[in-house]
Amino acid sequence: MQPMNESLAIEATGLIKRFGSFTAVDSLNLYVEQGTVVSLLGPNGAGKTTIVRMLATLLRPDGGSARVAGYDVVSEAARVRSVISLTGQFAALDPHLTARENLVLMAQLRGLHRREARAVTQQLIERFDANEFADRIVKTLSGGERRRIDLAAGLIVTPQLLVLDEPTTGLDPRSRQVVWSTIRELVADGVTLLLTTQYLEEADALADRVVLIDHGREIAAGTPAELKTTVGAQRIDVVAADNAAFGSLELLLSERFEVSTVPERRTISIPAPDEAADLTRVSELLAGCDVAVDEVALRRPTLDDAFIALTGRPAEPELIEEAA
Amino acid sequence: MTAYVRDTALLTARSLRALPRVPERLLDVTVQPIIFIVLFLYVFGAAIHVPGISYEDYMIPGIIGQSLAFGIIGAGVATSNDMNEGVIDRFRSMPISRLSVISAQVMGQFCEQILGMVIVVGLGLALGWTPHLTLVHGFELAGLIALGMFAFTWAGVLFGMIVRSPDAMQGVGFIIVFPLSFMAGTFVPISKMDAVPRAIAHWDPISALVASVRNLTQGTHATGSWQLTHPELAMAFWCLLVVAVCVPLALRRFNRKLAM
Repeated sequence: MQPMNESLAIEATGLIKRFGSFTAVDSLNLYVEQGTVVSLLGPNGAGKTTIVRMLATLLRPDGGSARVAGYDVVSEAARVRSVISLTGQFAALDPHLTARENLVLMAQLRGLHRREARAVTQQLIERFDANEFADRIVKTLSGGERRRIDLAAGLIVTPQLLVLDEPTTGLDPRSRQVVWSTIRELVADGVTLLLTTQYLEEADALADRVVLIDHGREIAAGTPAELKTTVGAQRIDVVAADNAAFGSLELLLSERFEVSTVPERRTISIPAPDEAADLTRVSELLAGCDVAVDEVALRRPTLDDAFIALTGRPAEPELIEEAA
Repeated sequence: MTAYVRDTALLTARSLRALPRVPERLLDVTVQPIIFIVLFLYVFGAAIHVPGISYEDYMIPGIIGQSLAFGIIGAGVATSNDMNEGVIDRFRSMPISRLSVISAQVMGQFCEQILGMVIVVGLGLALGWTPHLTLVHGFELAGLIALGMFAFTWAGVLFGMIVRSPDAMQGVGFIIVFPLSFMAGTFVPISKMDAVPRAIAHWDPISALVASVRNLTQGTHATGSWQLTHPELAMAFWCLLVVAVCVPLALRRFNRKLAM
């Protein structure tokens, strides 16, 4: 047995998972301090779900070791299951029961008696603002409603480690906001959270620390701010109205600034270390000439930029499809 | 142990509570045997003559044996459906015995098979089937049927976890169980079949089920192979063999069923 670090909620070293000849997770190290929010960020197929399923004892690692709250995920799987709560990518509810019946069942399976189970369920329903649809059959709920019940089911007993696998994938923006605010409340209560996502803004909005995953490997890790600084400072993007305008703009701006261009988006980027002052200079120059401009904007580097800088391709699956 | 019993009961109640909300899942144990009984009794039955026994008395025991075997398909399709549901993942990641999850699956399917059997027996009696059962034979029959349901439900649960989809399970059932259940002396006597199906029927496990039920309820005696002259023993043997093979494999499969 290795010595365990008491303050680590997750301690994974050299974790490997293969499916046939495909290596889904490749020698991954992951450390999550108690009381923090760590996000695994990566495109579809990067291995995030496989990592999470190994930590939740649903998959057996082919190599390396992992401890959750000090318990080994293979030899002490039953103990891991008692301290962890996993909400998966697909609603883990019985579609033919009502939301309330689902929660009561999960509570009873956690060892609560019927009456306690009902009481806890009612509290959760109120906490997740689900009174309206609590007695409808899960199959008939919207994606956002289902996700809220799913989250509630994971919190019947406050877990030491909450694992959310892509909690907002497929949700509309309003439902996403509801889920985010719920997650923020949980975090404020001191829950340790491991969150996977393919949305950069989600990791940015929720996580203390982000681990970028690609092809089952960690390619970078740090706070969202640290990751953004790896791609440099902010810039001003000037978007031309048409291709002719793009040509004249490029000529005009390159005389005064250090520009880089993205012709397919008719965008000219200018480094802007002085923020507003640089923006003013660019605007004045544009105002003095007669070229059709769609947009002038100050851009702060996003995690998307970090992902492109580190992997040479965008993280969002939509962009990958476009590029292909 | 008490936790295991409690969790199994809770999870079984979950499956049974969901049933009335998806009645189409019950078609295989309700409508299907009714159609078979009516078709064979009134469409084919008129042209089939089995010496020394009324066709009702000949065929209903056959349908009972066939229904037991169809339990494989029913339990398989249901398990394949259930295992694709996300809720199984939640159960597996919770601090409950994994054995209770699969036990509840078997219990739920077992209850469905009982419902199907009640329908077959009830309709059979209503349409003129007259079993001649002594008390001893009655207990023997009930015991064998319960054992058969248990065995074939486990087999179905195992296959349901192995196949990729409920449709695939339907297909396997149609290709293997369906013909075997028709060759088993279910609707026509084995002795009048062509040589090849007759040879298969002599050792078809479903023949033992059909012959046992017919033997115990009507006092008929089949011949042709050891298992047909000793159908109760053969039926118990086949069922115990299925249990011995399928239960450990199903448990192992469930623990390893680790979809991405």
